[in-house]
Amino acid sequence: MKADPKKFQELNKTKFEQRGKIFNFGIPITNAVSIGNSIAVGFGDGTVRIFNSEKSSDPIKAHKNIVLCMSKDGDHILTGGDDGRFLKISLDGEINEIGNFGSRWVDHVTANNGSLVCTSGKIVYLWAPDKKVPKLFEHESTIGGVAFDIKGRRMAVSRYGGVTLWKKDYSNKWKSSDLIWKGSHNKVIFSPDGKYLVTSMQENRLHFWRLKDKFSAGMSGYGTKVNSFAFAHDSKYLATSGAEYTVCWPFDGDGPEGREPICFPYLGKKLVKCVEPFPNENAIFTGFSDGSVFLSQIENLDNTIIIRSSTSSEVSAIAVTNDCSNLLIGDMGGNILWTSIWDDEGNN
Amino acid sequence: MLENSNQVPVTVLTGFLGAGKTTLLNRILTEQHGKKYAVIVNEFGEQGIDNDLVVDADEEVFEMNNGCICCTVRGDLIRILSGLMKRADKLDAIIVETTGLADPAPVAQTFFVDQDVADRTKLDAIVTVADAVHLSTQLTDHHEAEEQIAFADVVLLNKIDLVDESGLKVVKERIKKINPFAKVIHTTKCSAPLNEILDLDAFNLKRVLEVEPDFLTSDHDHEHDDDVTSLSFVSEAPLDMEKFQEWFSKLLQTKGQDILRSKGILDFKGESDRYVFQGVHMLMDASKMDKWPDGKERSSRIVFIGRNLESMNLKEGFENCKSA
Repeated sequence: MKADPKKFQELNKTKFEQRGKIFNFGIPITNAVSIGNSIAVGFGDGTVRIFNSEKSSDPIKAHKNIVLCMSKDGDHILTGGDDGRFLKISLDGEINEIGNFGSRWVDHVTANNGSLVCTSGKIVYLWAPDKKVPKLFEHESTIGGVAFDIKGRRMAVSRYGGVTLWKKDYSNKWKSSDLIWKGSHNKVIFSPDGKYLVTSMQENRLHFWRLKDKFSAGMSGYGTKVNSFAFAHDSKYLATSGAEYTVCWPFDGDGPEGREPICFPYLGKKLVKCVEPFPNENAIFTGFSDGSVFLSQIENLDNTIIIRSSTSSEVSAIAVTNDCSNLLIGDMGGNILWTSIWDDEGNN
Repeated sequence: MLENSNQVPVTVLTGFLGAGKTTLLNRILTEQHGKKYAVIVNEFGEQGIDNDLVVDADEEVFEMNNGCICCTVRGDLIRILSGLMKRADKLDAIIVETTGLADPAPVAQTFFVDQDVADRTKLDAIVTVADAVHLSTQLTDHHEAEEQIAFADVVLLNKIDLVDESGLKVVKERIKKINPFAKVIHTTKCSAPLNEILDLDAFNLKRVLEVEPDFLTSDHDHEHDDDVTSLSFVSEAPLDMEKFQEWFSKLLQTKGQDILRSKGILDFKGESDRYVFQGVHMLMDASKMDKWPDGKERSSRIVFIGRNLESMNLKEGFENCKSA
């Protein structure tokens, strides 16, 4: 008897794959951002597609080659590309060019209280609402990442040698101070409670600052660079990629210094490439280098379920719709899974 | 470096301003039509590059906190190469043009140090364009010119129509003294065959087996201490692996700043396979290759390019590694 590989794959599909929709575009997925109950996906051919329960949209040709970064401003998508353009795109596919930097890439995009923000090279550009000309924030080296705290009065810009922390005073002037730590800092995020700032570094480690007293320390032990990390919803845990399991550092109390991280799930010699918190719960999606995705409850690891089986391509994006009803997973091989998180009886 | 057919080759073009880097670049881009290249240039570089895919970068040299004191990488390259690997259509090659005064070491080290870069791209070769008229003065005045020659896999000696025969001989000798392993191609308008510049796979450890230095008669008398020179040693007697590792790792740790490049094929006592290595400053890539060919004499050969090599007792150190 000969095994039929297709049948085998079918049998091994998770319930999420069975009830969801599977696409293969053959184009690397670079980003995914939830907007309402839709999810916008950026691709390595410069296009953006919108997915929701009803349909997946036609490709919107946003950038020439690659959608490098993606974020949202209300119900609009923000993208930056290797064509040097910073775009604001409606869910209907209407494109509005906010900035154009020619042969310089737009590396990061975000929005803050109605202002549109991007970085290109060493400069953060901030377009205040209804302003045609951006305000420029210059830095000494190329920007690794940019993040705002929830109130939007502090902007952290990571770079070589540390983080520049910009604060808006009550006369609405931005003033900067430096958080110094030797080495090159990539992505930066605030904890949702605003107490911590975390960066990933060129070395296989993260660094954090406790903002009230500027105490800072590293989180190391990773086998590879930490390219994906995020806080679980209540700032209690920081979930990180870069090891053979998701490494979750405790950030309650005085932070992770001297404490052990929680590590889960382990699939053998496969690396975690993408982590995404489940909204409003201490649960984390873990995307592996082979395309498989798990959902784990941090404080009850027995409650770990497999969402997607292997596709042989590393997971590059995971996003959950704002109403927590649907989930999208994308990988570097161009595979997308769109699935409901709950079945008809309300179980997952 | 590990071999992997999905890795996109990266060619690094160095050379002083006015040597002809842009001429060469434009030749590659126009003559290799049908192929997809990304070109990474610096804002201070020469203008007028005719390609769809030109990425502007600032040459940013970052120190690594990895305990390796001279380890620097090009941060901009890590960012751009990682970004380019997200493209839907695969690139045939990537060409990095450095500024005139750039030290090639951080570029090469980036491929040793950054795993994301090493997984998806590979350093193909360092190609240095040199101006036959001005190279001698540049070598005397700027240590960067020496480094660019020292790191080169290929030296394109350009504008040879503007020097006479004796001038050409002098400049060729200076190149050979710094780097006897580089292939020197004589051109007038960078008109070298492109298959001698691209797809060389010069950093593949297998290529180390082909190292046959073009030895000149050694004459170290009138050299400056800080001149870049090269030394090579051969041992017919097999080496002791433990002794060699101890000597060599200590050498790279303590003198790695002065050793620009090193390569070697090693015959260890009790081992039937050939071992090869190559290094850039303190970083080293080494591997067991294959069995020594039947009927061929086994021997160990190592070569160094660097500064102050005479002070490192290299010959003595190497001799001491011979198996007792």
